[in-house]
Amino acid sequence: MTSSTQTAMPDSLMADSRAGQGETPAVRLTGITKTFGDNMVVQPLDLDIRQNEFFSILGPSGCGKTTLMRMITGFETPTDGSIELAGSSVDGLPTRKRDLNMLFQSYALFPHLTVFENVAFELRVRREPKKDITRRVQDALDLVRLGDLGERKTDQLSGGQRQRVALARAVVSRPAVVLLDEPLGALDQQLRKEMQIELKRMQRDVGITFIYVTHDQEEALSMSDRIAVMWKGRLLQIGSPQEIYDAPATEFVASFIGSCNIIPAISAGPGNAPTVAGIGEVPAVEVGAAEPVGSHVSVAVRPERMSVSASAPATGWSTTGTLTEAVYLGHEWRYGIRLGSDAHVFTTVPSTQLGPELGALRTGDSIFVSWAEKDARVLAE
Amino acid sequence: MDRFLGWVTKLVLVFLYVPIVAVVVYSFNASPRTSSWEGLSLRWYVELFGDGPLLKTLQTSLIVGIFAAGLATAIGFLSALALTRYRFKGRAFFLGAIVLPLIIPEIVLGVALLTVFGSSGIKLGVVTLVLGHLIVALPLTTLIMMGSLSSLDPSLPEAATDLGCTPWQTFTRVLFPLTRSAMLASFLLSFTTSFSNIVISTFTSGVGTTTMPLRIYSMLKTGITPEINALGALLILLTLVIIFAVGLQQMRRILVGAEEKDQAPDAAPDTISLQTATTER
Ligand SMILES: Nc1ncnc2c1ncn2[C@@H]1O[C@H](COP(=O)(O)OP(=O)(O)OP(=O)(O)O)[C@@H](O)[C@H]1O
Ligand SMILES: [Mg+2]
Repeated sequence: MTSSTQTAMPDSLMADSRAGQGETPAVRLTGITKTFGDNMVVQPLDLDIRQNEFFSILGPSGCGKTTLMRMITGFETPTDGSIELAGSSVDGLPTRKRDLNMLFQSYALFPHLTVFENVAFELRVRREPKKDITRRVQDALDLVRLGDLGERKTDQLSGGQRQRVALARAVVSRPAVVLLDEPLGALDQQLRKEMQIELKRMQRDVGITFIYVTHDQEEALSMSDRIAVMWKGRLLQIGSPQEIYDAPATEFVASFIGSCNIIPAISAGPGNAPTVAGIGEVPAVEVGAAEPVGSHVSVAVRPERMSVSASAPATGWSTTGTLTEAVYLGHEWRYGIRLGSDAHVFTTVPSTQLGPELGALRTGDSIFVSWAEKDARVLAE
Repeated sequence: MDRFLGWVTKLVLVFLYVPIVAVVVYSFNASPRTSSWEGLSLRWYVELFGDGPLLKTLQTSLIVGIFAAGLATAIGFLSALALTRYRFKGRAFFLGAIVLPLIIPEIVLGVALLTVFGSSGIKLGVVTLVLGHLIVALPLTTLIMMGSLSSLDPSLPEAATDLGCTPWQTFTRVLFPLTRSAMLASFLLSFTTSFSNIVISTFTSGVGTTTMPLRIYSMLKTGITPEINALGALLILLTLVIIFAVGLQQMRRILVGAEEKDQAPDAAPDTISLQTATTER
């Protein structure tokens, strides 16, 4: 995958990086860039984050998510570009004057203060009236269901409780934006699931824009209004969870979000089906600008969108492959199949839909594979 | 084996404390010679408070000690902050430069200081004493403060900034409360270092700014009177008072911590056991 094709994000997808006209975005990034030494960690990017949106930045480790977030908070100065919060520029404005709060991965609770004092910290620093403070802190603690733990020291709390205190502390002053950097990273699986639901509920209740950094695609899919997929300092695609999952713009997005079969193919030019070595033409939708005839592309098909059968389906397109493995996973079967001369794909069949014909197949047998045109996408390599 | 160790421990303790006890006991000795006992008397305490020149040197030592310790603690804190929070060019060199006086013989430092002060025309006095003591105290305070700061979550200062603190408020509301005991330790340790210093003081004190250790040292030639025992006893008393003041504060913290634990019966089980472990430690 060459880097030049990655920058050429199709116009239809690029449109999502800017909000509609007339609406003031909560955060607007214009040409934001960050370089450490000669390492460009964040490539020039534009991004609008809408008001009251749950916006996730999803990408593998080291792709620049934290750096991007730290530029929005003001901990890091962008090498180039400008940042607006609620329509006004914050370039050069120190963090404490930006109407946002950050939830740190380590929670960064103040160990010398009680839970109540931690949550009250910002209101006290900003010299809010005393009687307001007590009420607002109590409200925030109630919001995270820690109403009766105000007098505890923070080291007397469990991981999940500390997380909630950090959250209460971040939202108590009702900032316009809260940034969360992998906030659930330190929690175990069970607690993670609970907190995901809790976070989503809270974001809806308080109506604050959440910018959520994660490298867990499941988390991003289940919680976000919109997701930006980041890779090597670039935003590859911005869209709703459905758009990102069903219509990935690049091979990386397709394989990073959920699992996806990537079948190497040769483009046959605009309007023509691409060819897969050893199979011939396969049905697939083109995404954005068509690749020139003869160029290498890939056809991306989600495993669950592929269907398999022991005999040729009566209607529609299908091809044969060789069954290389059949693994029983309880609720479903997982089939590994060799397609054409150099493609290897896998697909899943729910256990309840496994007919006797399919069940009788052994590894090495021929198996028929098919998919609908709309479920396969031609992606630039 | 255990009994043998027990005896060694007792011997070491005796060896450590016999001189201290002796100083206190002999400060009440009526005899003008330290070698013989002639009954109880407060005579040397009376003489001590009448000895103007000696008290003057005590005053000099206190002033120098307080300034040197204050400066060493403040500068040590700032250096440690830079060294633990930022990865900058020349960090290792900077750290090395600060701790170097720990391994350079003091006599060399003293001579070097005298040369510098002499050639730059700085008059020897309290200022040069403070500067000299600062050099030997700074490595100690920097290392103590680095230990304390590096045990803190590095995102705490950023969290404070994020929650509206100016850099000064970040210090007063977060960094200072969390490093208070290390600061106190830094101050006391550098104060003692300054207060008992002889070598550097020899080279950096001027006319009329003799420090107390220098004065006592010079009295060796004319003969030490039990008056010095009285002074010693008072200094030991002062040290004990400080230790108890600090120690009681620590003790109260532990007690208060235990109380809080009792009031929190529904804490998660793992936090309780953790808490107990810390208290026992
Ligand atoms: N202060 C810094 N100086 C130099 N390089 C840095 C600095 N901060 C980050 N980097 C580099 O920038 C790149 C992106 O780092 P960043 O922390 O933004 O990644 P991330 O997407 O948050 O990764 P993770 O998921 O592991 O947290 C990394 O290669 C990192 O080494
Ligand atoms: Mg990160």
